[in-house]
Amino acid sequence: MKCQICGREAATDLCRYHIQAEERVRTAYSLWVKAYGGIEWKDFLDNVKRNPQTGQWAKEIAELLKG
Amino acid sequence: MDSGYTLVICEKPDAARRVSDALSGGKPRSEQVEGTTVFRFSRKGEEFVVCAAQGHVYGVSDPLAERTVYPVFDVEWYPSDLIGESSANAAKRISAVRTLAAGASKFVNACDFDVEGETIGYNLLKYACGGKEKSALRATFSTLTEDDLVRAFDNLKPQSGQELARAGRARHAMDFVWGVNLSRALSQSALGSGHRYRTISVGRVQGPTLEFLAERELEIREFVPIPYWKASGTFEKDGVKLSVGYARDRVETKMLAEKIRQECVGKEAVVVALRRRATQVGPPVPFDIGELQKEAYRAFGYTPSRTLQIAERLYLGALISYPRTGSQKLPPSINYRAILRGLGRIPEYSAYSAELLKTEPKPVQGAKSDAAHPAIHPTGEKPRRRLDVSESMILDLVVRRFLAALGPSTRRELAEATLTVGEHEFRLTGGRTIFPGWIRYYGKYARYRDVELPPISEGDRFRVAGVTVEERFEQKPTRYNQSSLLEKMEKEGIGTKGTRADVIGTLVARGYVSGESMEITDLGLSVVETMAKYAPSIISTELTREIEDKLQAVERGSGDGAELLRDMVRTIAGQLAELSANEGAVGREIDSALIATAAKSFVLGRCPVCTTGELRIVRSKTTKKRFVGCSNYSNGCRASAPLPQKGNIKTTSKPCERCSWPIVLVVRGRRPWKLCVNPSCPGKVKS
Repeated sequence: MKCQICGREAATDLCRYHIQAEERVRTAYSLWVKAYGGIEWKDFLDNVKRNPQTGQWAKEIAELLKG
Repeated sequence: MDSGYTLVICEKPDAARRVSDALSGGKPRSEQVEGTTVFRFSRKGEEFVVCAAQGHVYGVSDPLAERTVYPVFDVEWYPSDLIGESSANAAKRISAVRTLAAGASKFVNACDFDVEGETIGYNLLKYACGGKEKSALRATFSTLTEDDLVRAFDNLKPQSGQELARAGRARHAMDFVWGVNLSRALSQSALGSGHRYRTISVGRVQGPTLEFLAERELEIREFVPIPYWKASGTFEKDGVKLSVGYARDRVETKMLAEKIRQECVGKEAVVVALRRRATQVGPPVPFDIGELQKEAYRAFGYTPSRTLQIAERLYLGALISYPRTGSQKLPPSINYRAILRGLGRIPEYSAYSAELLKTEPKPVQGAKSDAAHPAIHPTGEKPRRRLDVSESMILDLVVRRFLAALGPSTRRELAEATLTVGEHEFRLTGGRTIFPGWIRYYGKYARYRDVELPPISEGDRFRVAGVTVEERFEQKPTRYNQSSLLEKMEKEGIGTKGTRADVIGTLVARGYVSGESMEITDLGLSVVETMAKYAPSIISTELTREIEDKLQAVERGSGDGAELLRDMVRTIAGQLAELSANEGAVGREIDSALIATAAKSFVLGRCPVCTTGELRIVRSKTTKKRFVGCSNYSNGCRASAPLPQKGNIKTTSKPCERCSWPIVLVVRGRRPWKLCVNPSCPGKVKS
């Protein structure tokens, strides 16, 4: 199976790098909620995608999760 | 040919000339032997002939020398020209030494006194001089000044450095076995996957170093920034305004940041504490090679390998001591006063030299030591030739570091004021130099800056005119640069002081790393992934460090190089078997990374005209010339630019500050140059 984002060999639809990146994005969401006192999942993903500090794989995951 | 002379073997031609000038009193006769220059003179009734190698003139290879065959564990030493390691100069130099050895009655190894120098001398004495490696005498010196060289030749030692040579030969054999087998295994795997032949190497130190870069890259690519807030206040009293930061550097939530603003604006701030304390800052320790490389990178942006090359030229010019040293100590035997007197004859340093000569010079000593050489220091000699800009800069840095190491401690006053607004604390900090001490000698390379506190006293009251809360985000980890990577290698104990810079250079040359920011490429990442999956020992920092420790034991005479080589062969044989069994999978993974890396090398950056496409290097089907074109050409974007037709074009991933078109690196000849590809860039001067 290939990763649906980068085409690397993968056991599921994502490679191990994008799986790790997804975990990081989901963990970050709870910290953003706490920091802002609440933020919608979609707004969070938009912000993560736009932020210049976000890593390439995390941006790709944010794009995928946004659907 | 006369008989009965002493044959002196130096490591480089410049060193041979220096040795000859020093021992002959400046009048050696030069002559040509087998197309190389040698020097002949008499000293104290003894006839000397001085010749030189040119670095390593022998190298390790396997008798079969067939790049498709692995594993290979039998290795031999061969003249470098026979195994394609260097030019025909090696053959000429070996031939000259062989001819001269026939008429010599005594042999002196005068190569640099370290592992590499000892190996070069040992090999020439063994193979070109007919087994004289054990009977030859050793001249040991740390500078190429006349005094040091004369002293070295007045005190020639028998058998000195044999352990270094054994360790050096073991290191070369291990690195060859390691490198050639893995390189062949990986390159053959990629070839089997249909890619054209390309050398894919994983050296003994390269593997773990590449893994450091991969680990950092993963952190960067997976990074999600977390928001926080930074608060600061503007406090006012009698028309004087102060900008003061909130004591907590980072406010975790937006709600708390707002609370700080609401509870402070319009209130009164009181200076509740004002602390001043004096502190002493000792001089920086003398340079070992790693510290010099890091400081030159910080001060001038020079890569570690460039700094090493420049330092070696300064050493051959007798301007600084031997640079490939791990020592941060300056022993009294280098004669501080004589060096200071020498520096006193150079106008830039004469005042400092005079000051230090009035005291009893005693340098600060660093923690690291090296039995063979002292820390890098100037010799105090004036240059015999005009130095280029980079040489002058490195020499200035070495001289000033030496002066600073001899200087007194700097005294600074640090000040901190705490102001409170209700329960909230704000803080002001500053620092100033009371007594400059060594900072004067180190000059522009010293990092301390004075920040004075405004004139305030405890109990002063200010009106809080405003409070700013600024939303910030955590910064992603920074990539290693050549200097910080070198530091990491040092810290992890992999590689040697003299070879770390070359390892970094090889990672760039192999295409595992791109750009100045040391960004790992898809190929580099794939090599690490493949190794981690099929041959994890190859990139193990622990194993590399363990081998390094054992090699150092061989250098000290307490280890066995042959046994170490046998152990290493056992380790690598197991890993090679795994790689070989999975050749198909390894090949596919590396092949796809090769394709991705090649595709990326043509992308220069975002198109500034249509803003959605990418500017790429394109080759015209009709003229076959290369130029820059936009990936949105089919959608109507006509952005294009000519490119130089000769040399390699490399991407820098940086847009031009003036016009936002990409900057490329044109590599042609010895000095690559940066070029904005936009022919109408306002930054370009029209002639």
